[in-house]
Amino acid sequence: MSNVASLKEPAANSDQAVPAPFFVRGKLLDGREARHKSRDLGVDFATPKINLDSLVTPRTEPGPLFDVRLDEILDFLAASGEAMRCDAKGYLQGAVERISATNVLPRVVIEANVQMAAEYLNKARLLEYAQQNLGDARLLDEWVPRTDSAGRRSFTRAFPPRLIHVLPGNSPLVSVQSIALGAMVKGINLFKMGSSDPFMAVAILRTMMEVDPNHPLPRSMSAVYWRGGDESVERALYRPQYFDKIVAWGGGDAINNVVKYLGPGLQLVSFDPKTSISMIGREAFESEEILDDVATRAAHDVGMLNQEACVCSRVLFIEGDRKQVDRFCQRLQQKLVDRNANGGKAPPLPRDLAEEIEGLRSMDDDFGVWGAPDGSGLVVRSDEPVDFHPINKTANVVSVKSLRDALKWVNVATQTVGVYPPARQVELRNGLASGGAQRIVRLGDAGGQSVGAPHDAMYIMHRFVHWIVHEDGFEPG
Amino acid sequence: MNTAVTFDSELERLVGLVNVPDSFDYDYAEVLPRQLAAIDERFQDRVHRIKLLQNRAETAGINAVRQMADVVPLLFAHTAYKSYPESWLSESKWDRMGRWLDTVSTRRVERMDTAGIEGLDAWLLRLQDQGHHVSCSSGTTGKCAMMNATQADLDFCGQSLLRALIWQGLGPNGDRKMISLGQVAASPRNRATGRPMAEAVSAPGVAPFAPNVPPITVGGITEMVVLRKKMAEGTAKPAEVAYYEAQAAAREQAIESAVEQAADALIANRHMKLHVMGLFVPLYKVAERVRAKGYSGKDFNPENSCFVSGGLKRTQLPPNYREYVFETFNMSGQRICQTYGMQELNTNAPRCPAGRYHMAPWVMLLPLDESGESLIEPPATGEIEGRAAFFDLSLDGRWGGIISGDKVRVSYGRCACGSRSPAVHENIQRYADMVAGDKIACAGTIDAYVRGVTGAES
Repeated sequence: MSNVASLKEPAANSDQAVPAPFFVRGKLLDGREARHKSRDLGVDFATPKINLDSLVTPRTEPGPLFDVRLDEILDFLAASGEAMRCDAKGYLQGAVERISATNVLPRVVIEANVQMAAEYLNKARLLEYAQQNLGDARLLDEWVPRTDSAGRRSFTRAFPPRLIHVLPGNSPLVSVQSIALGAMVKGINLFKMGSSDPFMAVAILRTMMEVDPNHPLPRSMSAVYWRGGDESVERALYRPQYFDKIVAWGGGDAINNVVKYLGPGLQLVSFDPKTSISMIGREAFESEEILDDVATRAAHDVGMLNQEACVCSRVLFIEGDRKQVDRFCQRLQQKLVDRNANGGKAPPLPRDLAEEIEGLRSMDDDFGVWGAPDGSGLVVRSDEPVDFHPINKTANVVSVKSLRDALKWVNVATQTVGVYPPARQVELRNGLASGGAQRIVRLGDAGGQSVGAPHDAMYIMHRFVHWIVHEDGFEPG
Repeated sequence: MNTAVTFDSELERLVGLVNVPDSFDYDYAEVLPRQLAAIDERFQDRVHRIKLLQNRAETAGINAVRQMADVVPLLFAHTAYKSYPESWLSESKWDRMGRWLDTVSTRRVERMDTAGIEGLDAWLLRLQDQGHHVSCSSGTTGKCAMMNATQADLDFCGQSLLRALIWQGLGPNGDRKMISLGQVAASPRNRATGRPMAEAVSAPGVAPFAPNVPPITVGGITEMVVLRKKMAEGTAKPAEVAYYEAQAAAREQAIESAVEQAADALIANRHMKLHVMGLFVPLYKVAERVRAKGYSGKDFNPENSCFVSGGLKRTQLPPNYREYVFETFNMSGQRICQTYGMQELNTNAPRCPAGRYHMAPWVMLLPLDESGESLIEPPATGEIEGRAAFFDLSLDGRWGGIISGDKVRVSYGRCACGSRSPAVHENIQRYADMVAGDKIACAGTIDAYVRGVTGAES
């Protein structure tokens, strides 16, 4: 009998706070002792009180997944994907309802994200991912033997780690990815949810319980919320005696909170804050049809996920004279607006930012501005990247003589670079990589993903696991 | 076309109240229509002079100000005064900076020969020669907001502050020594407000004290801002990074030295009547230092007075910081002058004995919703809460309408102190400080990769 299925949703009462239960090592934990605010919308949500002891597994106790074969884990993940698609108990639907109350993403975008999350749990693709990340997926199951050139024997294993995942709040898809990768490395996983989505990780784990309430996978997972930086929790938990690695997204306060706890035995795997850009060659102006197509692709890269994610393009470098570039800007703005029919508008720009852009509008020689700062799509043309960070469907189009001139604005915060025409990717890729960029794609394809490809200049699973070697000396004789 | 120019305009009459002793006590219902008429008068005159205002009026479709709601779309956020590209500063493009400044100024910023201008301070001096007194509000981490002012603005700043002090009951009568704590940027506005106060309170022949530390100039602040940008872009060489860190350390040291010097000066002059002027955070530190040296309230003259301004700027002080400071220097009652104001305005609101900041009749307070987009219609009596916006009718060199980042509680009707003007409660919060500190997203900028930045604001 599942102890989860017997738990009822907390009854709605006069308290307006949205309930956000915890999931701790295979058990749902209800309660509303603690109240919190969501970062973007200022909506209250209520969680149980954190029981710190329950979040830690002693090192003398192997994790529930340590001895489960990858194949079985993949079967369970695939079945979970199936269960997520059906969502028989409505857990995911419930999470979507709640996220739309706490998250700035429009509902349709969140729903599409959940669908993508379910599809992500595909056995063949996950195996391919592990294979690509580790070179040999057998390393997860076995001590893989090798004899070096001098004849010394060793056995290597990608050993399960103890991980704290500090999840971002801007993409429900990240929750499912983190659960899947954490499961494939067979780790003990603690997910610290973000205040703009304290629901999705728990909803996914509850759905997994529906597949098999006794499976070790959910028992190796916990998902809870505390306010990032809360020392009463972080000082107690962030210790090498309990965990090996903190997997953290974001920068600024989010990372500063974590960095101070690092030391011998406690490492950081960081997904740093990123900005993505586009590079568009003069070939875009060869015909009206091409210009239209290029603007459509660019609008896709800018506007997807309402420009909330790191892969979204924000600065677009383009080769062309003033007249051509202005034509592109006008077209791009139109395409951004067209996209609203499907994805909805982004929230309006914060007043400060709107004001700054308005200031640029009144200097018409140096800047061009198309559209309004209402979240429907705004384009700012300038001679070099603007000082502000373009958000809420804002594109900064920078005219350059040659795309090579734009390389000086590429830095370690540059993640994805969408290039048009595709043939020019080769000409630019070494310069982009040297500048710090980590991913080069065709313009319009920033949202795609090669299975198991490096992310932010690393193989994630490779960073997650504990590389252990058993050395067995030389063969006698 | 505006034809309603009267011989004695509401604008002149309201601004002229700075010369009237009881100017902070007025019937709001009577003043409001006069304020609206005066704002319209300003608007009609400025809409063709300030380009940003013209754009705004066109976008919002406003051609006259008849009610408070008409003012809202015409308000500027402080970012309007920092919308220039930072690279123009770092690359010394003074002609372009001049063209930008022109779009947010009342009087034309004429083209000048920019050859030989070395640095921002030199450019600002050149502008001063042309009658443009540009003040900057900035931190060490962000862009400077550049606000143009005329000599009339500077004179008015000093005059209105003195009026606020007199209204609070300080009655400056030239009988004491002024101790200034320093640690504010050397801007025309700060100079303009300091001088008249020093003249009014100082006993004959008693020179005001100010800590002897290198002045914090706008150019100096900006140099740091520019260096930080270069560090972020990766174009700064390691030697420049080392220089930046050394400068930041030197500034920390100057702040430390200013605290020490001010504490010594207070102790050395403790037998005189003193007038202390400064911001709360340094004042608190000086009070701590004075106590550490073994002095406290009993050692100081009970007639000591002070003028304290400025918010806490994200610095955490203990909840009893006011009492701690006032007890240290034996100050009480009407000799404690506090005001609420900002660099963006000419006029500060003085604090009354009931702990509320009263608006001058030439400053309209517009309570807005949190987004700053719509007006919360003020009641005849009672209290409301919202984002504070202001229209300071005295502003000459730039537009008088500004939106603040402050969440305030405003009361209308007669205050416990007896005055009838709209008054802001003492618990003023910054919206920026209220945002939860655990925002995490995968998107972000290179700014997150810059280490070693001091957060001190001037």
